[in-house]
Amino acid sequence: MTVSRISETSTMAASQRQKLLDRAVLYLSFAVVAVFAFFPIYWMLVTSLTPANQVFRFPPRLFPASLTLDHYQAFFDNPTLLRYFRNSVLVSTATAVGSILISTYAAYSFSKFRYAGRRALMFLILSAQMFPQALLLIALYLMFDELGLLNSYWSMILAFTTFTLPLCIWMLKSYFDTIPDDLIEAAKVDGAGQFQIIHRILMPLAAPALVSTTLFAFIRGWNDYIYALTLAGPHKMTLPPGLVLTYIGEFQTSWPNLMASSFIVSLPIVIAFLFMQRYIAGGLVAGAVKG
Amino acid sequence: MMKTHSLPRLRLSDTQFGILLALPALALFAAITIYPLFSSMYQGLLEKSLLWPGQEFVGTENIRAVLDDDFMPLLRTTLTFTLYATLLPFVIGFAVALILNTSMRGQGLLRSLFLLPWLIPTVVVSFLWMWIFNANYGVLNGLLRQTGLIAENINWLGHRERAMFAVIIAKSWNTFPWMAVMLLAGLQTIPRELNEAAAIDGAGRARIFRHITIPQLRGIIGTVLLLSFIWNFQHFEMLYVMTTGGPAKATTTFSVAVYKTAFQKFDLGEAGAIGILWMALLSVIVALYLKFGTDNE
Repeated sequence: MTVSRISETSTMAASQRQKLLDRAVLYLSFAVVAVFAFFPIYWMLVTSLTPANQVFRFPPRLFPASLTLDHYQAFFDNPTLLRYFRNSVLVSTATAVGSILISTYAAYSFSKFRYAGRRALMFLILSAQMFPQALLLIALYLMFDELGLLNSYWSMILAFTTFTLPLCIWMLKSYFDTIPDDLIEAAKVDGAGQFQIIHRILMPLAAPALVSTTLFAFIRGWNDYIYALTLAGPHKMTLPPGLVLTYIGEFQTSWPNLMASSFIVSLPIVIAFLFMQRYIAGGLVAGAVKG
Repeated sequence: MMKTHSLPRLRLSDTQFGILLALPALALFAAITIYPLFSSMYQGLLEKSLLWPGQEFVGTENIRAVLDDDFMPLLRTTLTFTLYATLLPFVIGFAVALILNTSMRGQGLLRSLFLLPWLIPTVVVSFLWMWIFNANYGVLNGLLRQTGLIAENINWLGHRERAMFAVIIAKSWNTFPWMAVMLLAGLQTIPRELNEAAAIDGAGRARIFRHITIPQLRGIIGTVLLLSFIWNFQHFEMLYVMTTGGPAKATTTFSVAVYKTAFQKFDLGEAGAIGILWMALLSVIVALYLKFGTDNE
């Protein structure tokens, strides 16, 4: 009796120890990945807020002695950067609108209609995600040149819209698949036209999926570098290549200014994403698994 | 289909309407993805420059020239980058997924915060790490010097192997959140009872991980690795922004080579030829993905 009780308490003590050890390992590994994940972001913020004369000093200080908003002011005082910013907003918005309309129609078609070659087409469009975009760029450059669309917003909007189609169509199609056919049939019986069914019934029902696809398309346009660099020309260029042109390759890159600009470019995307996150996480996983 | 001529509007059958709906997407897709893909590769069979008009068909001459000259170094560089930039974020992402899968406080917030490196535009990710790796004022050299690990500042981005290392670190930082999200989703589908039953049977943490977690996640692990491999195989932005493929081509992958040959050397023939070889390799990998990656939905 006593013996068994003793061994019981000792195993309890052992499991207690094991639990403590587990916790310690957990928190330690957490600390390591957290530093890796978050230090660069901290460093971007700190650099963007540090007075220039303190940035170019070695060794750098992890906690700056004084802070300033000068570098953010510099972004908004720079007409060229503001023009890139405006271009970015315009191109990304147009991409999102175009992409959402075109992929809604296509997704509805793939989800609710049956015709020969439908599956093959879907498969082909999905596989396009794998095509190397640096390669497509060669022919697209020649094509847009021929059409006189180089140095215009159109070349970017057309390209980005097309590149977002595979994922957008797939995300929307899988959402439409969950909407029962009876609903559409009932609307038809009530005399609704085909486009009315799409705009008045399907799109409101699919609002969560539409939000995340719109956002995805916007981000695609906002983040692009290589196409905007090559097709847009200096006046229509968006922020990512614009920032490279402005800051990189100078004799002495103005890192605090560049970090402030970087923060400004990242902010809209981060806010939008965190705001819409619950819609996206699901679509992200599903899209990638099937995609 | 048009039986009632009295009606002014074109009457379409359901099927025709369905096809019509898909047409804008298909038209864009044909014009801006399919045609450029083949047209770009066709340039590889021509003698053609962006600098002067005219072209001449030269067959496989460009391809042979690339195979004799740049192909092997390009392949080696591309594979090095692709392999490490896939495996490193996988390991980090897996660790993050396992941590987030435990019952820790503030989980929801943490999960969002860990996504940040993935949300930031890749160009900004490049700037960030260029600044961290900066030879004269970089914080990495600063920390290494202060802790006495190095005596002299290291020129990270100006040295062949170190430049590749820096770009891989930057790319891994950018990718690991995506890996973590995918793997976490997988972890959460593993029935709790499975782990509990194994623990009651006396299986330790390591054995549970090896005999339950890994087999249960096999599908998603395969998908994540293959997809990431395919994307890294064509990655351009960070390599080009951080090092422009240098120093001395040390970080010039197929994508950087195609871009620089076409738009800096203006040699469309050679760029197309590199593209043909690149696309051939890529097709093999994509075929593997389609065969194995989509089996497990």
